[in-house]
Amino acid sequence: MANFSSAVPCDPRWKRAVDLPQSTTGKSSNSLHIPALNHLLLNGLTRGSVVEASGARSCGKTSICVHILAQATKCGEVCAVVDLHNSFHPDSAAVNGVQLDRVLWVRCKCNPEFTMRATDLLLHAGGFGVVWLDLSEAQAGILNRIPPSYWYRFQRAIQNTPTILLICADAPQAKAASRYSLECQAKSFSWLGQRPFARLRGIAASVKQRKVTAIRPEQPLQITVA
Amino acid sequence: MYACLYGPGSGPAALFDLALEFSPYVEQTSGDTVVFRIDPLRKLLGSPYQIASEISRAGYERNVQANLAIASNPDTAILLARHAKGVTLVPPGEEQRKLAPLSLAGLTTDQAMLDILRRWGVKTCEDLAVLPEPGVAERLGPGGVYLRNLSLGVLHRPLRISQETSSYERRVALDHPIALLEPLLFLFSQALADICSLLRSQARAARLLETSLDLDNVKDTRLQGRPAYRAVLEFPVPLTDHRTMLKLLQLHLERHPPKGEVVAFQLRVEPVEPRRVQSGLFLPATPLPDKLQITLARIAGMVGDENVGSPQRLNTHRPDAFRMAGLNFQLESQPEDVPPPVPPPVPHGEMLRLAIRIFRPALEARVRLVELAPKDVLATGVKGAVMRSAGPWKTSGEWWADTAWSRDEWDVALDDGGLYRIYQEGQTRDWFVHGVYD
Repeated sequence: MANFSSAVPCDPRWKRAVDLPQSTTGKSSNSLHIPALNHLLLNGLTRGSVVEASGARSCGKTSICVHILAQATKCGEVCAVVDLHNSFHPDSAAVNGVQLDRVLWVRCKCNPEFTMRATDLLLHAGGFGVVWLDLSEAQAGILNRIPPSYWYRFQRAIQNTPTILLICADAPQAKAASRYSLECQAKSFSWLGQRPFARLRGIAASVKQRKVTAIRPEQPLQITVA
Repeated sequence: MYACLYGPGSGPAALFDLALEFSPYVEQTSGDTVVFRIDPLRKLLGSPYQIASEISRAGYERNVQANLAIASNPDTAILLARHAKGVTLVPPGEEQRKLAPLSLAGLTTDQAMLDILRRWGVKTCEDLAVLPEPGVAERLGPGGVYLRNLSLGVLHRPLRISQETSSYERRVALDHPIALLEPLLFLFSQALADICSLLRSQARAARLLETSLDLDNVKDTRLQGRPAYRAVLEFPVPLTDHRTMLKLLQLHLERHPPKGEVVAFQLRVEPVEPRRVQSGLFLPATPLPDKLQITLARIAGMVGDENVGSPQRLNTHRPDAFRMAGLNFQLESQPEDVPPPVPPPVPHGEMLRLAIRIFRPALEARVRLVELAPKDVLATGVKGAVMRSAGPWKTSGEWWADTAWSRDEWDVALDDGGLYRIYQEGQTRDWFVHGVYD
């Protein structure tokens, strides 16, 4: 029998199939595992779905989005942040485990039209693990002007692809187009010590899943300062 | 069969052109030597003798003075052309006999090996050819074996074909000036398709596309005699698809239109080795580089180049210090070798790290202090009484540079339900809302 391994010139740049890393060993390749929400999302976030995280200020929605972004970049995926108000904080994201060299950040200069068009282009370009559309702090009047058909267009663009569209806003936007709708609510802020030596410890919040039935529809969250 | 022309008095171009008349497979061994294949000519011209006559006649007509040798391998032909005057024909199997009287000095320039052979009494090819190959290999190594084979005339190798230098440049002068982008793109498309076809045929790819436009109504005297419009597109990954290049060029021209009608244009491409990557079946998908380039160019056309990219943290303690860099297209889509350990679930919920949203620019605020601590905060979109606060955290740095900062930072929980980071500037004593924890 011919020895093919010796017949092929061995180039150190090329790896054999068995040497290639297998990132999805033991996990479902059709979902993105989110450890912090494992009670709420038992099998993680399904690929090709629209996910919403909403809530008022300081409810923990941004922390959840950054956590999802961190999980995706840890898996070697390239992610995108479409930022309406230029409020993404790279230091905070890096501390949360986001690999910034795998993140494409689009700052939309507070223009909602640019935000939606940029998201549309990125979703149709394909290949991104998570596209985070950050509409937090946007006025309700501006958000209400977004036609609902946009959300269905986004949903159709990513279905049957590995991309997850993550929408972060003060109130749910995608409505029926989303597969997961996480509603966050701050319960209390926790502090360590007494004045003048007090320091912020974190936020106690709860997150409610309004769409897919889970083991528990609500999960308490303890978000601590890094 | 191979023919070799050796003409020290003739120019290299003359020899090369003469060889090209007889074969497309020409090796320019040195400035005064060319070798080419003549096997296909046997059907056309006849025997090697007749081929040699034709080459001699063509050389005479071109006024090229050169020695000609025809042998069954290129190296024998080269040696005989260099050391035998006139025309030399070597029938197959006669190579060793023809090479026998040649001095070894003509075979190599390795003076150390020549000294060894001279001490052995080996002076000609005939002397070297009779030595046993194992003995030569043991004493002189691969170099000695090569010399022995050369003197035997049994060394066969493919020709190192001289590649014609390709020009990845197209210049088109237009009959009538063009003012609209669309007809111009049509012409660009043809030129780029030509260039990309040439690139692909030579296994190359484009790293850079330089576009120069000559404009009709240039009034600036400084631009006289120079292209009035010049655009350089540098691709993050080498491209061979002319449609991608054309789209990127179109997006660039839409953002930076030329100020006048175009009368001529020139497209130049800088070739590089194409990008080769190995995909993995179990690796996550990443955006296709050429498609992503177009997407990024489109987004940059909307929001500006400075607002699209990958954030890079700077090596400083300055708050909110980062810079936008281009997305690294060369990233291998590999996960971390060792995945971070997933902490065991906490009974009452999972631990998350608190993230902060930054107000850029920071919101100017009016803060009422009670016992040196903030009591009320009022800013655009932020208003409330302070329920609890922590601070001040004094930070400062880079006093030697324009980016110096000095501030007292506070974490405050307001009664509007928000948890903010505010700070007071050390110099001006003004208050700002830096961000909101979320």
